[in-house]
Amino acid sequence: MTLDQFRRLAETWGGDVERWPAPTREAARKIAASAEGALVLEEQGRLDRLLAVVPAIEAERADRSSLLVLQKLASIQEEQPQPWHRRLLRWPALVPAASFACSVMAGVWLAGVAPLEQPSSDALSVVSSVFDVYAIGYGSVQ
Amino acid sequence: MSEVSARRQQAFRVLMRRHMPRALRVAQRIVRDPVEADDIGQEAFLRVWAHAASFDPRVAKFTTWLYRIVLNLAFDRTGRRTFQPLDEAAGVADAGPAAVERLIADEERRLLDLAMAELSDRQRGVIALFHMEGLSGEEAAKAMNLSAKAFESQLGRARAALKEHVRKMQDKGSFA
Repeated sequence: MTLDQFRRLAETWGGDVERWPAPTREAARKIAASAEGALVLEEQGRLDRLLAVVPAIEAERADRSSLLVLQKLASIQEEQPQPWHRRLLRWPALVPAASFACSVMAGVWLAGVAPLEQPSSDALSVVSSVFDVYAIGYGSVQ
Repeated sequence: MSEVSARRQQAFRVLMRRHMPRALRVAQRIVRDPVEADDIGQEAFLRVWAHAASFDPRVAKFTTWLYRIVLNLAFDRTGRRTFQPLDEAAGVADAGPAAVERLIADEERRLLDLAMAELSDRQRGVIALFHMEGLSGEEAAKAMNLSAKAFESQLGRARAALKEHVRKMQDKGSFA
């Protein structure tokens, strides 16, 4: 490796020979040990130190961004359509089913506790009930 | 990362706590706007969550994958935008014992920021990964989806352009 090649590599990769491509390091170390080589590296090292300065990112700023990501994820998950069995299990869909079940239970309970009235079988009652049936069938508003 | 693939939000929180600052500073170095950098960092982690299952640790390190996502988002934004962000105002120098040295360092940094603004997005990306993040040439090339030779060429041109811009500004005295 010549001093010119060494300089070109330093201009590309900077003042730290150990960060240069592996195949060039061995030869570069020898030139780096010379006064000219050290001067080249020192010059590039100044630029490296400036370039290595990172923008300050406060912990609160990073935490705020992380929180916003979690909030966005939560809103995305809410917007996604749910499978039909999940939709059926949500409470608004359960209201009609629950009211039907309550009606059935109330009916069963009433059937159990209410006194069962047997129709009278005397002649007057029979005539009266027949008359009621015909009255409903032919003249009633029902 | 395997726990993030399994949709464990706690693992995802830990991942963000560890890597969000990294994503923000690389994005900020490229787009030069903290608000836009925050947007990019957030979008990058939404993508990490969405595509966690496709990440293969045998192919690349997580940081390399994250850098690639951040760089793609940043390049995409700078390619679309129609304005140039204002450079951040220099801080007020204190009067401590190292004030003069700090002033010189601040001045050099401000000069460098102005020179960085003159580079292309890709050149800023190359500088951010290799010098700021300390990645090896090989890792940085992988994160930028470049061949080793192409990366070397970009890095050499970026450093040469920086030096040239700095020299021009010094000649004009625009940094004073």
